[in-house]
Amino acid sequence: MAFGAIRRSVSTRVLSYRQQSCGRAFSSKAIQDFDVVIVGGGPVGLALASGLGSYRLVRESLKVALVEAGDLSKTRDWALPPDSYSNRVSSITNSSRAFLEDIGVWEHVDQSRTCPVQEMQVWDGLSDARITFDAADLPASNAAESSEMARLTENLNLQRALLRHLGSIGGTELLQKTRVESIQREDRDGGHGWPLVYLSDGTILRARLLVGADGFNSPVRAYTGIPSYGWSYDVRAIVATLYHPPRGAFQGPNRTAYQRFLPTGPIAFLPLSPTVSSLVWSTRPALAEALCHAEPAALAHMINAAFRLPEVSVRYLHKLILDAHSTGASISGEDICSETAFREKSHGIPGYSAYASVSSMLSAGVPPNDAMAVPPIVTSIQPGTIASFPLKFNHAESYLGEGVGSRTVLVGDAAHTIHPLAGQGLNLGLGDVRSLVQCIVQSVVRGGDIGSFTSLRPYAAERYFANHKVMSAVDKLHKLYSSTWEPVVWARSVGLEVINELDSVKAALMMDAGAGDLERSRWDLLANGMKGVSDGLTTAKMLGQGIGGVFTIGINEITRRLGQH
Amino acid sequence: MFSTAVRRVSRLTQRTRFIQTDATVNAAEIAHFSRLSSQWWDENGEFALLHRMNPVRVQYIREKLIEIAREEKGEDVAHEMEQRRDAFRGLSILDVGCGGGLLSESLARLGAQTLGIDASESNIRIASTHADADPLLSSSFPTSSSLHYRNTSAEQLLKEPERFGVVCSMEVIEHVDNPAAFLATCAELVKPGGHLFLSTIARTPLAFLLTIAAAEYMMRKVAIGTHTYHKFVNPSELISFFQSYSSPSTTSKQPWITRTYGGGQPTRKEAEVRGLIYKPWSGDWELMSRSASQWGAAECNYLFWVRKPFTS
Ligand SMILES: Cc1cc2nc3c(=O)[nH]c(=O)nc-3n(C[C@H](O)[C@H](O)[C@H](O)COP(=O)(O)OP(=O)(O)OC[C@H]3O[C@@H](n4cnc5c(N)ncnc54)[C@H](O)[C@@H]3O)c2cc1C
Repeated sequence: MAFGAIRRSVSTRVLSYRQQSCGRAFSSKAIQDFDVVIVGGGPVGLALASGLGSYRLVRESLKVALVEAGDLSKTRDWALPPDSYSNRVSSITNSSRAFLEDIGVWEHVDQSRTCPVQEMQVWDGLSDARITFDAADLPASNAAESSEMARLTENLNLQRALLRHLGSIGGTELLQKTRVESIQREDRDGGHGWPLVYLSDGTILRARLLVGADGFNSPVRAYTGIPSYGWSYDVRAIVATLYHPPRGAFQGPNRTAYQRFLPTGPIAFLPLSPTVSSLVWSTRPALAEALCHAEPAALAHMINAAFRLPEVSVRYLHKLILDAHSTGASISGEDICSETAFREKSHGIPGYSAYASVSSMLSAGVPPNDAMAVPPIVTSIQPGTIASFPLKFNHAESYLGEGVGSRTVLVGDAAHTIHPLAGQGLNLGLGDVRSLVQCIVQSVVRGGDIGSFTSLRPYAAERYFANHKVMSAVDKLHKLYSSTWEPVVWARSVGLEVINELDSVKAALMMDAGAGDLERSRWDLLANGMKGVSDGLTTAKMLGQGIGGVFTIGINEITRRLGQH
Repeated sequence: MFSTAVRRVSRLTQRTRFIQTDATVNAAEIAHFSRLSSQWWDENGEFALLHRMNPVRVQYIREKLIEIAREEKGEDVAHEMEQRRDAFRGLSILDVGCGGGLLSESLARLGAQTLGIDASESNIRIASTHADADPLLSSSFPTSSSLHYRNTSAEQLLKEPERFGVVCSMEVIEHVDNPAAFLATCAELVKPGGHLFLSTIARTPLAFLLTIAAAEYMMRKVAIGTHTYHKFVNPSELISFFQSYSSPSTTSKQPWITRTYGGGQPTRKEAEVRGLIYKPWSGDWELMSRSASQWGAAECNYLFWVRKPFTS
């Protein structure tokens, strides 16, 4: 058809802009157009590429590139002997797993290295108030199809599966060992320019849609100038792969996850196999540093003690380790062991109780009644697996870049980073991916421009407040439980009658990011739980007035503190 | 927020000679919309509601064309269209009053040979510049689709021999001076067996309240002067127009709509009216189901589809 169309090429202008504003040796390389440029090949970025590639409609019509600074071929070829495990482990909720199954990724996960969680035990380190919940607590429709609450999986096992899936469907351009150096807006009339992504190898990608899946320090978020609010918790998380004897014949299998809320932060024990489990221990940075530098045998004893001894003794052991670390003295496994033995005796913990770790008189025979109340005794730590990470709270103010033609969207940790106490970080990221994939597919079907604000708006609308609710609930729990402050502890310990806050812990742990209606019902549970906290505090306040000054002041203070942030 | 996103540039010509020769053009309307034209692609600005309405209109066109393919060419063809991005491959589509090109771009992405025309030159300039940034639409890239824009009116185009498989004119008819002449022009541009899609606003008290009283004066969501109530067109008026309309260029005098049901609704193979409802709580538009009420809940904004007979 010869309609005498009005056309004008702007490519020359793009070139000159590039040379002027960057003054770099990029000029020899051409600009490559992509419909989607994903920055970040962590689990979330890879899942987005996989999710998009699982639709024929998308495969046939969108050019997708993924840029990752690290070496993805190493991840693809990742292999460990059956009894060794990576220290980065995540609990994958049932709805995250359902999504991974739908897009064809789950079949590439090595199932023998995953472990179903059938029960969770959570207790307050100070008051010992405890809740136990299992798969039967899940809403009926969810539990019916699976007898598990979540599946513990090494992050690498999942990332390898995602890479295998991407390999099998083809289409995605994987640019590995390549860093994004800078991102600029192409200069065009009317602000219609697209983002230009400058890579460390000199390539320039022009992106219809730029996705920041580039983790907490997101360069994409910085480019779009999306502000985020957050803070570093004064906490680091120690991770390690733990070895222990199998549960005895009369006990359940090693499928219970444990978490004890110590005032210094929660310590979690996540089962991987009958004899291997994973540690996530959030604690004060100085203590984390001391624990990571102690002998592994000493750390193993500290872990056993942290799950078992009364808090006052745990605190004492922490002081030992801290003092030794600050004076440069070495403290051996035996030192911790004998101190623990002394403390078990003085607390009157009998040798046949599961709460005894070093003075345990248990043999393989009949287990103690309380056997399942605490995790198995850690005997050693897989060499080279002790590491620690700073913990942060961070939420971008928006998931979409502002302004005409921003063409930018954030997913996963680039959009939100939370405390790992509820094991939700990656699950929220996978929830983002599921929503964004649907949004993009919908836009393609309707002839939309997938980079446009209009196309992406439903993603932000669906995810922002859902994530925000989880994040603030988890943050409040962290604050509630890290208090050693008398009135708070008192309120927590009378806890189960006065404030049923463990219900909110339960809800947070059982949350299934992105599970539609199911999700909503759990939100309600969580919301009620959090309401319980404040109602409880009001009750406590009334009681407090009867008790006298110090409590009253204290309780006002709790209410104020909980209201902060 | 109740607005109805109808500030569509009504265009049909802005040059004086066209205004004199083209029966349907309204010079004041053209001037009004030309003033707004730089805002076309600000998705949060003046045209935000139109941006949000656009995907729903495209979805309707897509679903309607697939539905007809299913009836005429069978399930396999329809299924294949559903699975493909370029469901409109091989189809020529004319977008009358294309404005900044919102609809035209979407139709081109779905694989149609698309021509957008507009009487406002600034609109055409903006539409062309915007499409140039997109390699999928840019003429320098080989794709199954193609997108062209021309600064002309439907009346002028009718003087050329080209006819189209689909003619769309969204949110235009309520801005023209002589809707009947405009409808006849659009109808003549459709090939036999082809489709005409329109969207507009009904002349109901509700529409008056939402689009003029609320959107323009109270909420200031839409520029004042965008709508003129007496120009709004009711679904029944469109139906009765096509009940009596037959193409002057053919000998057969078969009208486009040959029969209607009790309530005056056409049969699904000849024409359809579907309401478009704005949901302020989510900021989305929703296409009402056929059964929503007599006219598919078309009390305010609605889509209209009618098919040109093969033999007319
Ligand atoms: C101790 C701990 C325990 C956790 N446990 C759980 C759990 O049980 N369950 C759960 O759901 N979540 C858990 N999380 C959270 C989870 O690990 C994160 O949410 C998840 O890893 C986020 O994935 P991501 O892909 O968004 O970001 P990341 O994994 O951070 O990936 C970002 C990627 O972007 C790349 N990148 C960054 N900048 C550039 C650049 N300029 N150029 C190229 N590439 C770049 C990086 O190399 C990296 O590969 C835990 C977190 C911690 C710290």
